[in-house]
Amino acid sequence: MHIESTEMLWFEQHVLSLPELSELSGVPQPLLEELLDCGAIAPLEPDAGTGPRVRAGADLRFGAQALRAARTARRLRADFEFDVQALAVALSLLDRVAELEAQLRELRAQQPQRVR
Amino acid sequence: MKYKDYYASLGLARGASDEDIKKAYRRLARKYHPDVSKESDAEEKFKEIAEAYQTLKDPEKRAAYDQLGAHPAGQEFQPPPHWQQQFSDAPFSSEELDLSDLFAHLRGGAAHRSARMSMPGHDYEIGVAITIEQAFHGTQIDLDLNMPEYDEQGRVRRVPRAFKARVPKGATDGQRLRLPGKGGKGLHGGRDGDLYLNISLRPHALYRASGHDLYLDLPLAPWEAVLGTSLEVPTPGGTVRLKVPPGTQAGRHLRLPQRGLPKPKEGQGDLYAIVQIAVPSVVAEPERELYRKLSDGSNFDPRAHFAVEAGHAH
Repeated sequence: MHIESTEMLWFEQHVLSLPELSELSGVPQPLLEELLDCGAIAPLEPDAGTGPRVRAGADLRFGAQALRAARTARRLRADFEFDVQALAVALSLLDRVAELEAQLRELRAQQPQRVR
Repeated sequence: MKYKDYYASLGLARGASDEDIKKAYRRLARKYHPDVSKESDAEEKFKEIAEAYQTLKDPEKRAAYDQLGAHPAGQEFQPPPHWQQQFSDAPFSSEELDLSDLFAHLRGGAAHRSARMSMPGHDYEIGVAITIEQAFHGTQIDLDLNMPEYDEQGRVRRVPRAFKARVPKGATDGQRLRLPGKGGKGLHGGRDGDLYLNISLRPHALYRASGHDLYLDLPLAPWEAVLGTSLEVPTPGGTVRLKVPPGTQAGRHLRLPQRGLPKPKEGQGDLYAIVQIAVPSVVAEPERELYRKLSDGSNFDPRAHFAVEAGHAH
């Protein structure tokens, strides 16, 4: 069998435009814009978000966090038929869960295991 | 091709109503959806549920499925010859197929492919567990995947694909890698899908990871903690010497800078040795005598604060 070797990209190194984010996540651009409007998906430089061109998304850049959120949004929409509002709520809850899990992992790592 | 019992996957009888199917799917999806569920086999389970629902929720696909008859799950079977003419546009060879490929392909289904529309290939997401040593040095992993592929006539077949992928150093728990274009093939000019790897670290006998930092338990004998010492500590990069200052308390984190896991671009996490005071569970008489002498000769009171704090409370 042919064995393919591959180039790999760390998620964290991605910097994407809105159309690229849409292509990689499979979420249509209009829906991404709605998710952006309600803050469920955030661009890399949030303070650049004023003025008409930026509102159209032309200047916005997205990182790993946004790609992860957008891919989750695509799954939740396909599997649960969530609308924008439900997606926004689910994404922020999942974010909090991830944050808490990271904290828990840190605390567990600091917890001594070899108590006699 | 192996028969799958889609009704059983949803916990339903064959005559279930459309409403029952929807309800069963909603209940099971909430329980097993990988984004929501903490069940260990959620991913596999949800795939099965979603596949069953995709077919049973569509009246045409459900009718086609029902015509295949009931077989025990997992049994080899062939769809009857007229079945293909009745339901499918494209011919297929059924040995290399999964039942789901068949239904993705049905006339009238959402994934109807005869319109020659360009379709992006499927993205795949798989979990890869590596050891802390592999994360430290980088590693090569072998992936064997079985993906459906479509040819220009829209014929589908299962293609085994093998990847040798280098996981560069810098991985840690929860990190993801993207392999561009290594997912399902795009159709009619659609872009190829991507393959995503979710990295997790296997538990290690010595180290515990948090991000790129590592934690290690460091048991000390009481006299080592009191007098201080210099000792050798294992790290993924090799043994290093650590100075324990005199009067080191249990629970203290002794930091070994840049001895944790390397980060993807540059830099390296730290390793923390967490001090524990270990005592022997059995001591022979001459040693016990030394402890007694220590006890008589010392005026150290580890609970001096009890009296003070308890006094404050009243």
